[in-house]
Amino acid sequence: MNQKKIIELKGVAKSFDGEIILDNIDLNVYEKEFITLLGPSGCGKTTTLRIIAGFVTPDSGEVMFDGEMINDLPPYKRSVNTVFQKYALFPHLNVYENIAFALRLKKISEEEIYERVEEMLTMVNLRGFEKRDVNLLSGGQQQRVAIARALVNKPRVLLLDEPLGALDLKLRKDMQNELKNIQRKTGITFIYVTHDQEEALSMSDTVVVMANGKIQQIGTPTDIYNEPENAFVADFIGESNIIDGIMLDDYKVRFSGQEFECLDKGFEKNEPVDVVIRPEDVDVVAPEKGMLCGIVDSVTFKGVHYEIIVTINNFKWMIQSTDYVAPSQKIGLYIEPDAIHIMKKSEFSGMFGDYSSFSDEHDHLSDIIEEETETE
Amino acid sequence: MMKLNKIKNVNSIYTALIFIFLYMPIAVLILFSFNSSSSTNTFEGFSLRWYRELFNDAATMEALKNTLILAVLSAIISTVIGTLAAYGINKMKNKALKNGTMSVTNIPMMNPEIVTGISMMLLFVFVGSIVNSKTILGFGTVLIAHITFNLPYVILSVMPKFKQMDRHLPEAALDLGCTPMQSFLKVELPQIMPGIISGLIMAFTLSLDDFVISYFTIGSGFETLPIRIYSMTKKRVTPDMYALSALIFVSILILLIVSNVSSSDNKEKKVLTQKQKKTVKIVLASTFGAIALLTAGLFISTSMTEVVTVNVYNWGEYISDGSEGEDGEPITDVNAEFEKYYSKILSEKYDKKIKVKVNYTTFASNEDLYAKLKGGAGGYDVIVPSDYMIERLIKEDLIQPISSRDEILTAIPDYNNLKDQFKTPFYDNGEDVYSVMYTYGVIGIVYNTDYVDEADVGGWDLLWNEKYSGKILQFNNARDAFGTAMYKLGINVNSPSVQDWENALNVLKEQKPVVQSYVMDEVYNKMESGEAWIAAYYAGDALSMIYNAEKHGVNLDFYYPTDASGNPITNVFADAMCIPADVSKEQKEHAQAYINFMLLVDEEYGSPAIANAEYIYYASPNKLVVESDDYLASLDGDEEIIYDPVIDDNITELFNTYAYRNLSNEDLATLNKNWESLKVDSSNFNVSIYVISIIIALAIIAFIVFKYVQKRYRRRLYWNNPVTSKQTFDFTSTMTKISIPPELRAGPKEDKK
Repeated sequence: MNQKKIIELKGVAKSFDGEIILDNIDLNVYEKEFITLLGPSGCGKTTTLRIIAGFVTPDSGEVMFDGEMINDLPPYKRSVNTVFQKYALFPHLNVYENIAFALRLKKISEEEIYERVEEMLTMVNLRGFEKRDVNLLSGGQQQRVAIARALVNKPRVLLLDEPLGALDLKLRKDMQNELKNIQRKTGITFIYVTHDQEEALSMSDTVVVMANGKIQQIGTPTDIYNEPENAFVADFIGESNIIDGIMLDDYKVRFSGQEFECLDKGFEKNEPVDVVIRPEDVDVVAPEKGMLCGIVDSVTFKGVHYEIIVTINNFKWMIQSTDYVAPSQKIGLYIEPDAIHIMKKSEFSGMFGDYSSFSDEHDHLSDIIEEETETE
Repeated sequence: MMKLNKIKNVNSIYTALIFIFLYMPIAVLILFSFNSSSSTNTFEGFSLRWYRELFNDAATMEALKNTLILAVLSAIISTVIGTLAAYGINKMKNKALKNGTMSVTNIPMMNPEIVTGISMMLLFVFVGSIVNSKTILGFGTVLIAHITFNLPYVILSVMPKFKQMDRHLPEAALDLGCTPMQSFLKVELPQIMPGIISGLIMAFTLSLDDFVISYFTIGSGFETLPIRIYSMTKKRVTPDMYALSALIFVSILILLIVSNVSSSDNKEKKVLTQKQKKTVKIVLASTFGAIALLTAGLFISTSMTEVVTVNVYNWGEYISDGSEGEDGEPITDVNAEFEKYYSKILSEKYDKKIKVKVNYTTFASNEDLYAKLKGGAGGYDVIVPSDYMIERLIKEDLIQPISSRDEILTAIPDYNNLKDQFKTPFYDNGEDVYSVMYTYGVIGIVYNTDYVDEADVGGWDLLWNEKYSGKILQFNNARDAFGTAMYKLGINVNSPSVQDWENALNVLKEQKPVVQSYVMDEVYNKMESGEAWIAAYYAGDALSMIYNAEKHGVNLDFYYPTDASGNPITNVFADAMCIPADVSKEQKEHAQAYINFMLLVDEEYGSPAIANAEYIYYASPNKLVVESDDYLASLDGDEEIIYDPVIDDNITELFNTYAYRNLSNEDLATLNKNWESLKVDSSNFNVSIYVISIIIALAIIAFIVFKYVQKRYRRRLYWNNPVTSKQTFDFTSTMTKISIPPELRAGPKEDKK
């Protein structure tokens, strides 16, 4: 990255009531970048955003804006604006007045205010809605007003706190595209907070994966997906089989009682490692042709593919395949060297990657709980 | 359908009944405010007379003005403070502290008003004693008290609005460039505005009708409407008060409707168009604006030029007040005349314009007056206690001599207008003059000449006469009721002997079966309408009863009970003007001028002595009054009733023998105990009320026990199961447990066969 740094967090830490929320965060945000803070609830992503916005003061560390420290600068003096999770539109003002709010404070002439508000309304496709009561708009419309209200100020950086969380799936996809377009058109730096990994991968230039108040990995969406740094990232971004392994030598790893070729090197000899294999990278073959053999536990139809759970050496693998196999059938697995990704052991090792207790229902439930805690 | 309709009918009837129950009294009040006569039981025709009188009644209008100023100021100030407090409480991060603060602010609402009132009075008087001011009670203290009791209500109505508000709104405002102050004004304030407005209106109405707290914290020279109405109990509440109450009810109704519209939810708001919202806002703003302007105007107009103030504390309805007389013409406004008269005298004396202001406030009983003086609520220049109370006040040094007896004519130049026998009553016959008599009177018996046999008339026995059983009224006041019995028995009414009081009690118990009811003010209606035939009452009031009864075609007459040889045996009382002990030398001069003015008979100033005598109906000790032809004409030949020569000639002796004296505490206790036993004794009501209470209490307990047992019974199956959160739901095992009967399983197939 040869672009100019606009925001820099150096060793930022924050705790509430003795509970550590942020643990020495270092983060650089570059100009014109779409950067996403991704993580489960309680990982500190929203707190990071609020520190940048100025609503939270860090306990230690420095927040730099354009190379200047802004730790003690109140929110209303920062050139950042925020789109809030529940929009936080002013209920007593109509659409036009909501958007004009920031401009009115700056004592700009009415003509210029009119021009800029109309420009924003055009951008978010809400022309003709000026006189509407914001309480009577749909969720998507409110969202657009919130974006217009934040952008009319021409901030250097726009902060978005799970802005699409309250929308339904279809609307969410549309808004994702729209947001990305707006960002390209305006060239404003977006800092986007979400717990939805798909959203993060499809929109961002840079993804910052956070957990337990720490940054786990920073990288482009492809880096993050293909080269996860640890078990947490591997599991949080997409589905993964994470298996204990031993690095025998460069390009040689042993797991599930077999030796495999791989493309990774630079580990010590016989170093215990975590091996990541994505479910879609495993080929289902006849048992005699397979590098590994196992009995199919269950098969679930998912539309594009089947989700197959197979037990091998007491480890339950998940495999995504377009070919149907019957439960209880014995199948073989074939894994290409480039499908194997080796990670160093971390605090998350052994916590993820086994599908023994996996079920869609569980996944869904945990999502709901997450949302509830977030909105609290 | 039929059944449903029936239920609907029952529902609407029930609702109607509730509304009737709630609003009947107010409907009657409004109806009678348009009555053309002062009768409280017959509507004699529509008229706006009482509304006219209301606006001509200077003292009431003054009280209304005071009440409005007080209500507006206290509402605005408490709303500002309360809103800021709610803002602060809402921002508190510590939950325990927040809840604690809320409970503490809520306590004053639960607190009985009387506790708040007394504690505030104590505090004010205490602070007053520190800053060495005897007159600390006044407008300021009532205002502080009202703000204090309004605060919790404002906080209570603003708080929920803060809670309802999206907590990100202030952040959004800051984010968009607002300073915290701007954020509060531009974003938070509009959100909580409905709460603020309903808080403001609530504070305004609460302050408007507060009596108890005002009563304790108010000083001299300032009277609010509720206090004025309450103190009218010595005489009757006049119908212009109905008019006033009707007006207040209607204005509060309007305020409430407006506040409900403005604080309704968003949902309901959608129903209102932008235009309607605007009108509501305009109405609200203009109402408050008008009230505020009025207040400000009244305030400014009274605070210019040099003003001498005389603070007078008198019985309610005890001065000619400029209201409309029988002939429709306004009568003399004595206080206004004094202001004119004394302003002229002072201006000439000091050669500059000096305005005189009479602050005229009223009390309802001697005991109220005593409590005020004893409690240190100073600031009165002239007070009008009754005989026995004057005796007590002199003894306790709570009043000061008006002057020595030798120099009384220097202090009160027209003192000699008093008849000689009224200059040295038993309570004030020493070397100094402490009091100048205002009115005096006698207790006698009013009776209906159509039903009561003249042969039975004469003594106190008439009140015990079984012939008129159920038509006799007795005083509903211990001292006077026992007085009737003791005069009848020939016992000293100030007897220190417990036995004497016992005897009187027994006589009263004997009387009980023939008594229709124990009454004070209701005596007028009952006698004037002919519902009762015999009542002991005060001569002056008897006179007005006789006049009013005549209009209804009821003939009443009046006599003083006498002994066998024709000597009167009855209570004689006097009310007299005094100057409290804490009045300064300078103020005392003004007080003397006021007292003297009350003795004047001077056409130029509306002859205050005569005007008062005509208004109050009680006897005047002023010889110029009694000699006035106009006055005698106004009595319409009934002057014998209040000016019986037998009474007047023997007044000193009657005072000495029959007047009520200050009772010792033990005697008072005996009296009260006996009075209670009379009122409570032998009534079934009392037993039945206990029985009913016990039955209700038992029913409630039985219900609670039943509910508890039922709950236990329902829970018995699962309540003691151990908690097993890790238990997984075994679907298959449940499936097998539910065995489906074969015939059911085969059901559909059988059909096919």
